[in-house]
Amino acid sequence: MRRTGWTALPVALLIAGASFAQDPVAYFRQNCVSCHTIGGGRLTGPDLKNVTQRRERAWLVRFITNPKAVINSGDPTALKLKDEARGVVMPIPPGINRELANALLDMIEKESALEESQFKGMTIPTAPFTAQDIERGRALFLGREPLANGGPSCVGCHTTVGLGGLAGGKLGPDLTRVFERLQGRQGLAAWMQAPATPTMRSVFRNQPLQQDEILPLVAYFEDRAKAPAVTPAGPASFNFFLIGLLGSVVVLVLFDIIWKRRLRSVRRRQVMDAAKEVLHGD
Amino acid sequence: MNVRSQVSMVFHLDKCIGCHTCSLACKNVWTDRRGAEYMWWNNVETKPGTGYPSRWEDQDRFAGGWEKKNGRIELKSTGKGKIIFNIFHNLHMPSMDDYYEPWTYDFQHLFNAPEGPDQPTARPISMVTGDHIDIESGPNWDDDLGGSPVYAKNDPNLEGLSELERSQLAEIERLVFFYFPRICNHCLNPGCVAACPSGALYKRGEDGIVLVDQKRCRAWRACIAACPYKKVFYNWASGKSEKCILCFPRLETGQAPACFHSCVGRIRYLGVLLYDASKIDEVANLPREQLVDAQREMILDPHDPDVIAAARANGIHDSVIESALKSPVYKFVKQWKLALPPHIEFRTLPMLFYVPPMSPVMAARNGDGDTVNHVSRDFFHDIDDARVPLQFLANLLSAGQTGKVRYALRKQRAVRIYRRAKTVGDVGEEEAAEMLKQADTTAEEAEAIYKLTSLCTFDDRFVIPPMHREEAIEMLDDPHERRTAAGFGFVDQPKRGA
Repeated sequence: MRRTGWTALPVALLIAGASFAQDPVAYFRQNCVSCHTIGGGRLTGPDLKNVTQRRERAWLVRFITNPKAVINSGDPTALKLKDEARGVVMPIPPGINRELANALLDMIEKESALEESQFKGMTIPTAPFTAQDIERGRALFLGREPLANGGPSCVGCHTTVGLGGLAGGKLGPDLTRVFERLQGRQGLAAWMQAPATPTMRSVFRNQPLQQDEILPLVAYFEDRAKAPAVTPAGPASFNFFLIGLLGSVVVLVLFDIIWKRRLRSVRRRQVMDAAKEVLHGD
Repeated sequence: MNVRSQVSMVFHLDKCIGCHTCSLACKNVWTDRRGAEYMWWNNVETKPGTGYPSRWEDQDRFAGGWEKKNGRIELKSTGKGKIIFNIFHNLHMPSMDDYYEPWTYDFQHLFNAPEGPDQPTARPISMVTGDHIDIESGPNWDDDLGGSPVYAKNDPNLEGLSELERSQLAEIERLVFFYFPRICNHCLNPGCVAACPSGALYKRGEDGIVLVDQKRCRAWRACIAACPYKKVFYNWASGKSEKCILCFPRLETGQAPACFHSCVGRIRYLGVLLYDASKIDEVANLPREQLVDAQREMILDPHDPDVIAAARANGIHDSVIESALKSPVYKFVKQWKLALPPHIEFRTLPMLFYVPPMSPVMAARNGDGDTVNHVSRDFFHDIDDARVPLQFLANLLSAGQTGKVRYALRKQRAVRIYRRAKTVGDVGEEEAAEMLKQADTTAEEAEAIYKLTSLCTFDDRFVIPPMHREEAIEMLDDPHERRTAAGFGFVDQPKRGA
């Protein structure tokens, strides 16, 4: 007992320190706003205004700390949420625990009471985008125009249809249909504001996209989503293979020319030549 | 004058019977190990033939040795500039096929084979991979095949021979070959030493033996490409280069190297030469046709008091100078001018010399059936007409100059006739004397050549200088300090826990 007491104390302090060090407002801004608003309407995820009144707090905490587990357990409410989100499953928020979940819920409760929450989300014009917007989005996507905060351009990891040639990167998912997946302008824009997946989060946390970069990118993705449905993975990767093959051949031929005076087979060639002479009746 | 001593060698090709005893003696002592199976520090080649590795003399392909560029000699294979572009791939490495894939036989199968309708056989097994192989070549694959259309026909020394001479070489009635035993030449201007980026190769100061430091070797293999004689080998198991060490542990204890010791035909001679090391650079840069003479010039007369004084001043022990006085190599190379350096046009200044072989006697008889074969006053008529064309020997032994080879062959022939006049008596003394005169020799010299060629004892052939390791070691290690620090009983100082 004594021993447990001695070790439990610093561990408890450590946990408490870690959770209370997280400011729920900052945490929400970094991790949640890509899918949720408070009073700004639905994005990928539901509007969280008054969520504490709609559902039991215990259920909420359970869901927040491990959404997938709750969905997999066959919980009817969770399954309904998944349907509403068109099958997008909420990722486990980084560093989440019960204390932090409770703190977030407290914060949401407070924000819901306000007239206008700071997490109302950004407003996106509903008018059709111009060709210029789309063109600029394409330039940003391809990295022809660098991102103002120094973030890496999309094409490094992603691709869409209509890029031709080697197309884009294969590291991240194909973004042709991302406009639909993230439920339109509002959702897409919110996502880009603070990307929630582990990779995007760590890449863009310190160099976020700017408002005037997000809009053209949304325009570009909206335009891509209208493109006829093709499976770009097929031809693009085959192109890549062909270009790689051709490149290797060119390089090998080049090496052969540069080092043409290297020593090649001596003895075997001698034997072959002699055999040839015999065959041709020399 | 910077006098140094070099343990040098002469191989008397006229006496070589091609028995390969030397090769086996060497193999059994030094290269019967994993990674070294394919190495033949000593090998015997049939000429005309392409040798081992195949066509090693063709430096357009193998890029060994030095070439003159802008008035200075440079290594053909590597250099400070060239190595940058070829640092990941050595361009001029012979492949295993150019040497041969070493093999043994599956002898166990003869004993363990299950009963069956056929006799069990011992199939060849690669000593590198352990798999069954079809043997395609070996280190003396073209042995005794003077007319082979694969190997003899591709001998690089056939260059400059007329079509007639070439076709005659292959004619069955005139078919001829001789043997060419080879070891490391322990050159004065060794390409291997110059090429090594790690400084692992060195030429021993006291006796000129070229060695690879197994601790410093970093497997660059530049030496293998740079040696024009292809006498440095890469041990694929240890990852180090190895080469003929002239059996220095034997020399240091007063014994002849294994290949010399075992030579059945007694073709091998070994002795000290004193040479002027300050001339190496100048000589190696001379035009091709001056190389043979210039190298002879470098070799100093050990009887000359000035040379003796300079040698002493350079720390050469009196006993070594004494040994140089008795050196059979000095006689063959410098005094009699019978022995010639192989392919000196590679400019490494080899210190192994060859006495060119006499061709078989032509079937020219006098009308009365007498066997005397000089039919006119031109006593040497069949030397230029020999079965082995003079140009071929010259390409091999004197950078293409037939004069040097002709001189050596005429002298040898004169000695034969002289001895014939003395012992058989079917040649007149007068004729013999005339022949000696024309061959630029005297009766005394002929007698000496005869004795050292035919009646040579072990001690005549091998005049091994005292190696004075106790002095040589002082150059590297102070014996007193060594005794008090490490003790004499250890090569490496023992350390706790190491």
